[in-house]
Amino acid sequence: MVADSQAIQTRQLSKVYPGFFKSQQVPALTDLNLRVDQGQIFGLLGPNGSGKTTTIKLLLGLINPTSGDALVMGQPAGDQETRRRIGYLPEESYLYRFLNARQTLDFYARLFNMNRAQRRRAVDYYLDFVGLDPSVRGRRIGTYSKGQTRRVALAQALLNNPDLIIMDEPTSGLDPVGMLEIKNMIMRLREAGKTVVLSSHQLADVEDVCDRLVILYRGRIELEGALRDLLEKKDVFQLSARNVSEALQAKLSEVAAEGGATEVQTGRARVRLEDLFKELVARKRSGESR
Amino acid sequence: MFGLLQHIGPKLAGSGIALGTVYHPPSQHHYVSIFADVVIGLLILAFVLTAFRDIARLGRGISRAWAIGRVTISEAWNARMWAVPLVWFAICALLGLLIVRGYEPSGVVRVYMTIFLRAQALILLMYLGIMACVTLPRERERHTLVTTGSKPISRLELLLGKVMGLSAAGVLMLAVMMILTWGYMKVVDLKIRHDAQVLYAMQKKSYDNVLRRMPPDTGVKYISEHGVLQAQNYVTGKLSIAGYINYQTNPPSRLLKGGSSEVLYFEFPSLPATEYYRPMFDFQFQVVHALPSTKPVKIDVTLVQRSNPMNTQESTLTLNPAGQAIWMPKNPTSFFSYVNPQTGQMYNPGPVVVKVTCPEFGVYLGFGNGLRPPSDTACLAVSLDTSRTPHHSGMIAPKPNPVITGFKDNGKQEIVGPSIHHPQIKPEVASWDFKNLDQQQIPIGPNGNFTLHMVISVDKQSNEALPPVAQIVAYNTDTPRVRTTLSTYVNEKRITTIKLPSTLLGAGDLIVNLRSEVPGHWFKVKDDSMIIMQPPSSFIWNLFKSEMVILCEIVLIITIGVTASTAVGWPVAMLTAMVAYILGNLFHFVQSLFQSGGLELFDYVQDNRMKHIWYYKIGSFITNVMVHMLWVTVHLMPDFTRYNPLYFIIRSKDMPFEIVVLDMIWTLGCILPTLAIGYLLLRKQELA
Repeated sequence: MVADSQAIQTRQLSKVYPGFFKSQQVPALTDLNLRVDQGQIFGLLGPNGSGKTTTIKLLLGLINPTSGDALVMGQPAGDQETRRRIGYLPEESYLYRFLNARQTLDFYARLFNMNRAQRRRAVDYYLDFVGLDPSVRGRRIGTYSKGQTRRVALAQALLNNPDLIIMDEPTSGLDPVGMLEIKNMIMRLREAGKTVVLSSHQLADVEDVCDRLVILYRGRIELEGALRDLLEKKDVFQLSARNVSEALQAKLSEVAAEGGATEVQTGRARVRLEDLFKELVARKRSGESR
Repeated sequence: MFGLLQHIGPKLAGSGIALGTVYHPPSQHHYVSIFADVVIGLLILAFVLTAFRDIARLGRGISRAWAIGRVTISEAWNARMWAVPLVWFAICALLGLLIVRGYEPSGVVRVYMTIFLRAQALILLMYLGIMACVTLPRERERHTLVTTGSKPISRLELLLGKVMGLSAAGVLMLAVMMILTWGYMKVVDLKIRHDAQVLYAMQKKSYDNVLRRMPPDTGVKYISEHGVLQAQNYVTGKLSIAGYINYQTNPPSRLLKGGSSEVLYFEFPSLPATEYYRPMFDFQFQVVHALPSTKPVKIDVTLVQRSNPMNTQESTLTLNPAGQAIWMPKNPTSFFSYVNPQTGQMYNPGPVVVKVTCPEFGVYLGFGNGLRPPSDTACLAVSLDTSRTPHHSGMIAPKPNPVITGFKDNGKQEIVGPSIHHPQIKPEVASWDFKNLDQQQIPIGPNGNFTLHMVISVDKQSNEALPPVAQIVAYNTDTPRVRTTLSTYVNEKRITTIKLPSTLLGAGDLIVNLRSEVPGHWFKVKDDSMIIMQPPSSFIWNLFKSEMVILCEIVLIITIGVTASTAVGWPVAMLTAMVAYILGNLFHFVQSLFQSGGLELFDYVQDNRMKHIWYYKIGSFITNVMVHMLWVTVHLMPDFTRYNPLYFIIRSKDMPFEIVVLDMIWTLGCILPTLAIGYLLLRKQELA
């Protein structure tokens, strides 16, 4: 039984995409054991083809596992009632091009059995929330820019005020301002106690917002842990301070702990996530080539 | 499809009614039907067992399904759904204008309705059938199913949503088409009424100025006042050619007219099956000579096995002076019994019909109701050797009131008028038997009369210049001596109205007899030629019911299309839906092929020696399997021949609402197992 504090738990979750011949079968995910606590922002990283999207689709019940099982909010993945508490932003904005933004959100709101007043309120609120220009809301989505479409897709993921939000490349297609807004929004979601699973290639975004992450490679977990632990340089001590005088700077190396500097911060030196990711992938690839 | 459902409700004429009246020996047909029912039953059981959670949630799930349906309508709208009715209307209006010229007013409605409704059904079946086949595959291709599938919606709701959405699109289009049809027909009706007004005024003027012998046509007047856009409710009687009727007897006795095309049919519903007895047919007629003659009277008799109309025996018999003759058919074993080759069991081959004609001109053969002619003995009976058939009495009588048919011309029966050269030869009489009349439904005029409407064609063999005149004799079977006799001019191919006293509407049957009074004038008649009108229903209500029948057909093809597309891509789904539709339309054809032995041609061998060759046996086995698979497949398909939206409206007749209701129930009955297949295919399918 999954603990109440866990939003997601998978056990030996595997997925093999079938082929007519055995040689055509594609193992996408192998024995995935994943644990995401509630209230966390969880990063799902990996190069292309590592199984991130497959994992998400398995968690949503859109595809069936070959073996193993997954629990989402304490229920088997794909459970209809559990999906009421989940918001999903797909990798691409898969929306009906012939509907406008309002009609799109109204449609998805209907799938949550919202009444007319609730739907109207939710549609207006989330279109404002994602910052979609009011002048384009009545236009068909087929005429939108990629960024505008992305905002509508984001709004549909949040429409039901979900407890668990699964985002696949949320900033894809957004300009820098939009990216920043998304990051701020994710932080606000954490403050509201929501669980966010984030799959992204924008490592800087993940680094800024995630609490924990896994890095997948060829369908297996290669690295897992709290972001803070993963990015720490264990053998390097780092000290930083403000209002440090010239003299103090000279003494700091000798008597940092005894000095009279204000706001002294000490800690392990950190490596950038991008460097960590690159190093891991390079190491795996060099290992494979040998 | 669905053997059980085949029994729901009445079918329309021309859709297999004849099959019900023909005896068929026990065959594999029965087992195929049971097999189909078992398959459908198992499907529904599997559906209920696997989908019970989704079914339980359908209460709130219907609104989610409807949300899917709304998007499907938007998709259809985006696919230029709105243009379909406009294109349809343009084509039909053009076709109507090109084809309709020269038709008389009642024919105009028939032609327009045939064009408009047939085109509607065809276009909508194609358009919505294609949409049904592409809607799910297109969602898969565009990945919109990924986003939708992440929401709390079940596969059943998804499936239902697609069917509901496309059905709603069908309703919208049908509504637009119905309004356009009605508007167009209203304009046509205005023109017809105007033309009728002008024509009636001309006829009246000519009649008033003694330029015309016949009074103005009441049918034209009726059209000028009421138009042609009505759905008529009327009661018809069962037509039989009565031969010559002698009203002096009680009840009036009937006489077969010698030297005419009249055929007298006696039917024995059941004769005992045995290979030992030899039935003896004992005829007795009352012979009446209209012309001086001393020759013995001959009759031609034919024995027909109704289960196999090709199995006949014919003979010519000579009646003795008392009008009696006895006939013993040959080979009674092969004719009066059917032996199942597999079980060796002997069956009754079903009804046997005896047809009698008299070639002697100027002779009448009296038979009354077939049971008690004036001689007070049976007109025809089969006597059996009771020592060999101990379980049966010595004499078996045929069904009472044997039927007479006249000469048939293009589906109508013709009755011969008075003879120019032999005035003593009586004209033939057509008789309509109005059974179970609901007197509340028959409008009675202020003079205590009700109106009989008559539409007949006149075949003028001679006296072309004379207007046709008919003699009508009406009586109630409770009071056969109280008769109303009148003569009237006949409006050829148009309505002739006849006023009859309402006292004829007693508890018994109303009998209306018609004969021509002008020598050389023959009448062509059918069941609908003599009708009692009831208050008409509105045309638009009748049109609505026809549209409902089309809708049922469309919803069924949509369900089949959506179901097919759950498992395969849209091209294969289209092929599947098309094959289902074609096989559904061939149900009776394939069934009749089996029953008449048409498909056994596959087994036809010129040289019986081949039957022992191994490759012939293998080929024969494979052919047999394929043929039976075809039969089973046809049984598993919905019977699309059931839908006939045109049958009533082109006859300007009100469609009974029960037909619409039964079609809807039947459609729902077909949709359920189809949806079950769709659900079972989609249940574990990956949406991404």
